[in-house]
Amino acid sequence: MRSGNSLPRSLLIALLVLAALLPLVARSNQYALVLFTTVLLYGVLATAWNIIGGLAGQLDLAAGAYLGLGAFTVGTLLIRWNISPWLGMILGGLIAVGFALLIGYPLFRFGIREVWYALSSSALVEVLRVAFLIWNQVGGPMERYLPYHEWSLYHLRFATYMPFYYIMLGMLVLALVVNHRVRHSRLGYYLMALGENEDAAEVLGVNTQACKLQALALYAFLVGTAGGVYACMYGFIHPNFFSGPLSTEVAILGIVGGMGITYGPVMAAILLVSTREFLRANLGGQLESFYLVVYSVVLILIALFRPQGIATFVRGAYDRLLSRMVKE
Amino acid sequence: MTDTLIQNLLNGALTGCIYALIALGLSLIFGVMNVVNFAHGDLVMVSMYLTFWIGLGTGIDAAITPLLTFPLLFLIGLLVYYAIIDRTLRQRYVTQIAVTVGLMTFLRALAQLIWKAQPRALPYSLIQGSIQIGSYTILASRLVSAAVSVLVIFGISLFLSRTWAGRAIRAASDDLDAASLHGVDFRQTYALAFGLGSALTAIAGGLLMTFQQVDPTMGVRFGLLSWCVLAMAGLGSIPGLLISGVIVGAAEAMGMSLWDPRARSLVIYLLFILVLWLRPRGLFGRK
Repeated sequence: MRSGNSLPRSLLIALLVLAALLPLVARSNQYALVLFTTVLLYGVLATAWNIIGGLAGQLDLAAGAYLGLGAFTVGTLLIRWNISPWLGMILGGLIAVGFALLIGYPLFRFGIREVWYALSSSALVEVLRVAFLIWNQVGGPMERYLPYHEWSLYHLRFATYMPFYYIMLGMLVLALVVNHRVRHSRLGYYLMALGENEDAAEVLGVNTQACKLQALALYAFLVGTAGGVYACMYGFIHPNFFSGPLSTEVAILGIVGGMGITYGPVMAAILLVSTREFLRANLGGQLESFYLVVYSVVLILIALFRPQGIATFVRGAYDRLLSRMVKE
Repeated sequence: MTDTLIQNLLNGALTGCIYALIALGLSLIFGVMNVVNFAHGDLVMVSMYLTFWIGLGTGIDAAITPLLTFPLLFLIGLLVYYAIIDRTLRQRYVTQIAVTVGLMTFLRALAQLIWKAQPRALPYSLIQGSIQIGSYTILASRLVSAAVSVLVIFGISLFLSRTWAGRAIRAASDDLDAASLHGVDFRQTYALAFGLGSALTAIAGGLLMTFQQVDPTMGVRFGLLSWCVLAMAGLGSIPGLLISGVIVGAAEAMGMSLWDPRARSLVIYLLFILVLWLRPRGLFGRK
């Protein structure tokens, strides 16, 4: 399940070129651009999740917490002190890391695992949401709008979604590279070992606590920076960015994509998020939230009948194709 | 100031008895088959809507509808068990969570589809009036709800200790292999525990509807709330569940009156995280 995990380089480059050309198809169709960028955003989040969830086997449900922290850092710095989101993104990522370590240290120190880890991380999102709702100086119940600019690279504000697509694509590539590098490093092997069996890994001399904290920090940084871009793309910040449904959805994408498989979560994001948006666009008009009914049934079916993840489908097909080509 | 605080604490403690009832259902499911059910809170929400529907359609009072919804939720529980949960028993726990999170989304979206997003409440309840104790007022509906919850919890504890089926559930929870050797059919026992755990939300839903409104997103709150009660109580202690429920209810009320009405969930989650950090086995747990 977690082995043999490399697509040929030529295929990767072809996919990247295809992704880079995609906005040219959409041209000025802003809806399509938002859709593509959203898919990429979920791809980034789920790929980052794959480090803590897929490799280390910790079911983290706090993606919304780090996304919100990143978004609020970028938003607050830009609105109050006119500090560029480029710097804000890095700071937001670091704040997310700081927060993750602050929370992660006691969690791992007291040996909180499995379902209790999942639940306490999901509680965290709600705690932050309410805290920012009450904290009127930074959050509060009203949206805070980022300054409007027709085209400003310094403010990371554009009248079109096109630049955000490319920024998000860049972040996805970064997340995938980090994921790939971690997976084939000492840390990655430790993480996979403790993901399979934590006690056994510890007995073999893996410092599980430190490994998990490192994985958590990488994940929080990627999600935090993505949160910064998210804020600039939508042009406002609101405590609802600390979203429980988003957090669980990120984890679900990671799980149904194929835990620990580098490109699995991206594949799940492309397939499922676009399915969801397609359903929303086509069914949402007549029947509000009917798309979610269909979507959740699809999720349940995939989780039931393809528990190793949809990435294994593709690999199976790819292997068959390869062996057929070899035979001929 | 202290008067309102005590008043709120009383209300919170009474509501906490219902929380304990919800957590008892979760404890049956998690304790027996070790299945992490994220959809439990949403079953409470569905029960509340069913109560609302029956109340609106037939005029049957919310306090009595559990007689109808209890078997209905039991059947839903069985259906969920055989259609979904049973297939994931041999899977990793993340798959189970993915499936129950899917179920949670499904129930919420369905509720939104059928009943729309606005909150709904029943116009009146059979249980009217209030009781004065000194300067404090207690709504009769809250008092009756708490009393019924305690009675049901007591009844379930009798069922678990006195009947063969109940003992089978406890045996399966302690040691599945030993229980199987003594003729306990584990799938039937699991199905029974899941059905019963879900059916308990029907009673809680009916009781809550006597003094509360319902909206499609409230499942999350009940879900995490019942996990909080369960974490505090630990597994296997029914009196512990009741005490933890009351503590959680009182803490919630205190947060609302002393801090900020929006802080109610904040208090619960902070409590939950603290309990997990300091007492991972719960205050009363035995395993």
